[in-house]
Amino acid sequence: MQGYNFAYLDEQTKRMIRRAILKAVAIPGHQIPFASREMPLPYGWGTGGIQVTAAILGEDDTLKVIDQGADDTTNAVSIRRFFARTAGVATTTRTADASIIQTRHRIPETPLTDSQIIVYQVPMPEPLYKLEPSKQAAKRRHALAEYGDMHVKLYEDIVRFGRVAVAYDHPVMVNQRYLMSPSPIPAYDNPKLHKMAALQLFGAGREKRIYALPPYTEVKSLDFENHPFHPVRADQKCALCGAQNSYLDEIVTDNSGGRMFACSDTDFCATNSGRAA
Amino acid sequence: MSVLLRARHLEQRFGRIVALDDVSLSLRRHEILAIVGESGSGKSTLLNVLAGFQQPDSGDVLYDSGDGPQPLATLGALTLRKLQRARWGFVHQDPRRALRLDITAGGNIGERLMAAGQRNYGQIRETAARWLEDVEIDPARIDDLPKTFSGGMLQRLQIAATLVTEPELVFMDEPTGGLDVSVQARILDLIRGLVKRLGLAVILVTHDIGVARLLADRLIVMRHGRIVETGLTDQVLDDPHHEYTQLLVSSVLPA
Repeated sequence: MQGYNFAYLDEQTKRMIRRAILKAVAIPGHQIPFASREMPLPYGWGTGGIQVTAAILGEDDTLKVIDQGADDTTNAVSIRRFFARTAGVATTTRTADASIIQTRHRIPETPLTDSQIIVYQVPMPEPLYKLEPSKQAAKRRHALAEYGDMHVKLYEDIVRFGRVAVAYDHPVMVNQRYLMSPSPIPAYDNPKLHKMAALQLFGAGREKRIYALPPYTEVKSLDFENHPFHPVRADQKCALCGAQNSYLDEIVTDNSGGRMFACSDTDFCATNSGRAA
Repeated sequence: MSVLLRARHLEQRFGRIVALDDVSLSLRRHEILAIVGESGSGKSTLLNVLAGFQQPDSGDVLYDSGDGPQPLATLGALTLRKLQRARWGFVHQDPRRALRLDITAGGNIGERLMAAGQRNYGQIRETAARWLEDVEIDPARIDDLPKTFSGGMLQRLQIAATLVTEPELVFMDEPTGGLDVSVQARILDLIRGLVKRLGLAVILVTHDIGVARLLADRLIVMRHGRIVETGLTDQVLDDPHHEYTQLLVSSVLPA
């Protein structure tokens, strides 16, 4: 596309972002500040993820973008087309064919390999923000690894609901050192973070933070010894492909209470049932 | 008895105001030391400096954690924080400052345990229930929010939440301030019992001579940031030497 640099951002900016990414990979789970740019989409729509993707995208890459697991939602379609036009890279909806996957709120069901990179869009990178409104104090706590309050929150959940009631964005300990927000992925996806073969990059545009999980990093969801972490999944099978081991969306089908459950990962569902996505 | 905490020549200024002026003191294991003085005499500043929340302009505080006295300033932020969270305790005058009012009584007591690495839900609850009983709160209220508690109960809850890690040194800043007399008496009784049972060393700041007389082994009288008199509690209170101490003792209303 004329008038734009490859992948929209100028080279100087990309270099700055890559430096932040390198630092982030060097200290797994630690948030690195970066000079987030204005992007041609609003905050909350993936400005962090899109900048990280722009910084690591090469001409030979194949890009897949998902939003809540789906390839065909507005956000996913727009970002995929954005890079198709500004970088001219190949795009795909097939998880296995992609070299870079940008995602919002999900990790694909198909296990990722060590030749892939997954980029998460993160609205709030600070896992402590609900407990500690001051960013300075939160940073101090990370420095001192002072995470006791996080367990107080889980304790309160068990007292009130009989179980840990965090359905998404369940905080994780990375490498037994840093507490990290996994971005608002469902708790069901948390186990996939652990020792994943692919490089995982997290970008928060409004909050101006980048963090990362290098391949095969130890990631543990917070829990109690006698109340172990339990990923929740609707006790149903997919109405389209029959899968019993995938994360399901509940879809309201009419005005009289009719509903169906279907895989949230559209590519997985299509592959499973032999349809084209 | 070995010295647990020692302060040497502490100085602290806030602009033109001298809050601490060459203050030195020592505290032995299992000893209760009261710091008395009028408002603005530097009591609370001294407490904050001793507890490591504030760096003095000059002088140092030494703490003996078992292998010889060490200046707090050389411990490093991480070690100091660990001390403050487990082996030390701090009881504030206003329990609402120390407690989290939006989480249950059990959660408040469990907080220090979880910060210290306790990860067993059942054990945390057991310990919390036992401590509620120790501070004379019905254990059935373990899942109630502190905002449903009375002032006296809140203070007792704060004491339980502080002592749950069985610290060896506790700082108390007017623990009975702002409570009515009958509730004060109960709390003093409770503190006295717990301190004896756990063998705590306590530094207690108060402006209430009665509280000092009831709890403290030794007494320090402060005025304008200086220590004007120090000695055994009954000795100082029954035979005050400094004119300010005399004034302080004589201004207690007869019961």
